[in-house]
Amino acid sequence: MGIEIGLGEYLALASVIFGIGAMGFLTRRNMLIQLMSIELMLNSVNVMLVAFNRYMPENHTGQIFAFFVIAVAAAEAAVGLAIVISLFRLKQTVETDKADALRH
Amino acid sequence: MDFANIADKALLWIVLLPLFGAVINGVFGRFADKSMVTLVGVGSVAGAFVLSLFSFFHLVGLKGALGDDVAITNEVYHWFSLYLGSSEIPINVTFVFDSLSGIMAMVVTGIGLLIHIYSIEYMADDPGYARFFTYLNLFMASMLILIFGSSMPVMFVGWEGVGLCSYLLIGFWYENGSYAAAGKKAFIVNRIGDFGVLLGMFVLMMATRSLEFDDINAAASSLGTPFYFGTFELGATATVASLLLFLGCTGKSAQIPLFVWLPDAMAGPTPVSALIHAATMVTSGVYLACRLSPVFMESATAMAVIAVVGALTALVAASIALVQNQMKRILAYSTVSQLGFMFAAVGTGAFTAGIFHVYTHAFFKACLFLGAGAVMHAVHAHGDADVRKLGGLRTKLPVIHWTFLVSCLAISGFPLFSGWFSKDEILLGAINATMFWEQAWLGWLVYVILVAAATMTAFYMFRLYFLVFWGTYRSAKVEVEAEEDSSPGASIPPPGHEDDHGYDPNPHRPHAAIAGVLSVLGVGAIVAGTVNLEPLLHLLHVHVDIAGAENGNIWGTWLSGTVVHFVPAGEGVGALSYLAAVGGTLATATGIGLAYVWYFKEGRMPMAQVTGFAKVLMNKWYVDEFYDATIVRGSKALAVFAAAIDKYLIDGILARASALGVSLISWLATRPQNGVMHSYAALMVVGLAVIGWWFTHPHTNLDGVATRSDVTWTTGRGLGYEYRWDIDDDGEADTEWSAEGNSASHTYGHDDWVGYALIFDGNRTGESEEIFLDDSVVVLTESDIGRGWEADPEAGTTPPSFRVDEDEIVFLKNDARARVRGGDAEVEERLHPGDTVQVGSLNVRIGAVVRASLEVRNSFGNVARDTSEVVIQPAPRTREVAALEAVPATQGGAR
Repeated sequence: MGIEIGLGEYLALASVIFGIGAMGFLTRRNMLIQLMSIELMLNSVNVMLVAFNRYMPENHTGQIFAFFVIAVAAAEAAVGLAIVISLFRLKQTVETDKADALRH
Repeated sequence: MDFANIADKALLWIVLLPLFGAVINGVFGRFADKSMVTLVGVGSVAGAFVLSLFSFFHLVGLKGALGDDVAITNEVYHWFSLYLGSSEIPINVTFVFDSLSGIMAMVVTGIGLLIHIYSIEYMADDPGYARFFTYLNLFMASMLILIFGSSMPVMFVGWEGVGLCSYLLIGFWYENGSYAAAGKKAFIVNRIGDFGVLLGMFVLMMATRSLEFDDINAAASSLGTPFYFGTFELGATATVASLLLFLGCTGKSAQIPLFVWLPDAMAGPTPVSALIHAATMVTSGVYLACRLSPVFMESATAMAVIAVVGALTALVAASIALVQNQMKRILAYSTVSQLGFMFAAVGTGAFTAGIFHVYTHAFFKACLFLGAGAVMHAVHAHGDADVRKLGGLRTKLPVIHWTFLVSCLAISGFPLFSGWFSKDEILLGAINATMFWEQAWLGWLVYVILVAAATMTAFYMFRLYFLVFWGTYRSAKVEVEAEEDSSPGASIPPPGHEDDHGYDPNPHRPHAAIAGVLSVLGVGAIVAGTVNLEPLLHLLHVHVDIAGAENGNIWGTWLSGTVVHFVPAGEGVGALSYLAAVGGTLATATGIGLAYVWYFKEGRMPMAQVTGFAKVLMNKWYVDEFYDATIVRGSKALAVFAAAIDKYLIDGILARASALGVSLISWLATRPQNGVMHSYAALMVVGLAVIGWWFTHPHTNLDGVATRSDVTWTTGRGLGYEYRWDIDDDGEADTEWSAEGNSASHTYGHDDWVGYALIFDGNRTGESEEIFLDDSVVVLTESDIGRGWEADPEAGTTPPSFRVDEDEIVFLKNDARARVRGGDAEVEERLHPGDTVQVGSLNVRIGAVVRASLEVRNSFGNVARDTSEVVIQPAPRTREVAALEAVPATQGGAR
């Protein structure tokens, strides 16, 4: 008795991955880990987009949108890592709660 | 050429010419050549005088042709409108040249022109020459606006304008601190009076719904009604208004208790003292009283107050003038005293006598002031001239001497001089007033006081005359120890002040301008009284009609169209006029005789040290000290108290507390900005969750628009929304779920009504207003209805009301005027939706309330329900329909 993989399962997977990413982003202080968490959330959205695309086969909007997300994620990672390096040069750490120079 | 049209235009230019003169000299005067300043300053007033003369003769012609109450009017423009309840009170700038304002205009422009000419020589060496003429011209324009204004607000513009010019000219030499202070004193004291004028104006506006003098005077006979301040009855409207206006007159015309500013006003240049503080501005209170004479005549109480105050002012000011040593100061108190005579005349109902005295007084008092100024000019006295240092000027300054003498005779009331005629009329008025009041002794009291004051007047004027013009010139040798400060405000001067110098040992004679003006005024002081020969003819038992006026009373006949006058009736009136003439002439003789004996024959000098009662008089009855101790210090204490409140309560507590509140809120608001990135992220997540939750529920905003019985209901659209209507709100859905049905229309019938409402149309806001009727009674208020019904707390009238009874609306009209279906309403009317009631200017339509409900469902399956009500206006029921509807209404019992 095999398990039939339908839209619900894909959405569940995407939700779980998004949740892990969101929790990671919210709870971890290390900026590198937070960047990775953002990547997780973006990728969960990619999974969802591709899964929905199966129900709209006449065009590939979902899949194309996923590629856009990957491109944006790459750019975001590049900028994010540059910020991490700058932050490290400044504070000798990548803990985000040390980067509070702009608070009230 | 339309002659009347030219006269109308001339009226406007009488005012505009001096105004333009003021503007031109004010802007360009300081750069311009002195002769140009003179040309503009004097030329504009000369033009105004010529135009006044033209208008005056035109008016004389009109009166001959059309009767006594004609006037030349010029409606310049509509200024603004006031709204009192639902009545509009338009305020037009309209100038009126009638018999009263005509006389005033002739006095103002005539005397004004002479004084302008005099000023050319008098002010020739003053660096502020152009400024002086600017102010003088501005004064002329303001005074003419005051005189010509047909309504109280326009008059008040002039009233304030002359006050301003008075302030500017008293403080003309503002480098001297005490002169500037005198200007401020004049202005502030006058503010108190102006406050009274404003309140009086408001009282008259409330009572007569107009501010035009003509309307107010026409409605004067209705002013006996009580005036309420809130619910407190102040007295008859005429009394309240008259006394408030008289408060203004006491300020402007220097009566007790506000006369203290006028003596200090002598700090201004002498032409100013002559023009503003003797001949014209200070008489504007008398003018106002005469202009509103019917209102004043309505209140015997106010008239008694005015008469007694005027008489007392005449006496007190004359008593102060007895011992003063400064020329202008004596003349100032003399002016206050003469103004008291005028108000005594007003108070005794002899308005024409009051205005007559304004007219004669303008000549001799201007002549006296200008003579005093010429003396000061001749001997190079600064500020004021001390009579103890003068003397013997009779031969040195003959023109001044002769004009001064005739003016002294005139003001003293020497027979056949102008002052004799007017003072005699005033005394006669006081005697006649014994028949005006129920308390006859009041009239006798006023008469006795006035005779005493007239005696003093003759005495102090001839004391001044003998001291200045007879004896020997004392200045060269005598160093009189200063007894009194020439600067205003101070009562006991410090020894050795600035005025304590000898005068020029060789007084120079005046040139043509001053000499000419004095001569003209001197002649006026002699002959001005001849326009009213009645008292003289009466005494001589001659009865002739001159120029159409009965028994030579040209003056009274001329004014009969504008000023009412108390006319005594009964026996013995003729004999009383002898009493007036004898009293006045005896007073003159006594005063002059005493002055002659003391200061001419015995050659007395003013006392070096005054003692006893004379000291009280020298110090002006200590009125300034009294005001300083009470009002000035009281005001200062109040100011200190107010400043303390500002400092400690406002700044200390209120401002600091609110600042603290703001900083607390900002402290709270900045807490989230803590620089911790994941706390920002957490807040963002929370916000997104709230927005997401809101999107999972549908939202509605049901609204209906009624056209008679048809209502179109609409609600907003939303993504994935479906709608289901229960359009008559009976609990059962009327449509299926539909994605398109966000709008629905329905025609409501009688059974669908769930309540009733009143729709107010045409109330004064112009917008219609809906009132839902529940079980309570709706009572219309005065502000709802406007004109047509006014609450009368005395009579206990009740306003109209509406209430619901079963399925009818019961309208009780009570004490209002109401119309229903084109006819007058019954005491109780039973109405239905669609009917209209007219109450006063208000239309009340009866409407019905209908209700609809709507369910909205979105893709999540959540459902929202909304119910709304709207007022519809069914067509009025005809009798047939009413009969048909009556059956199902009783059977169904729908609600």
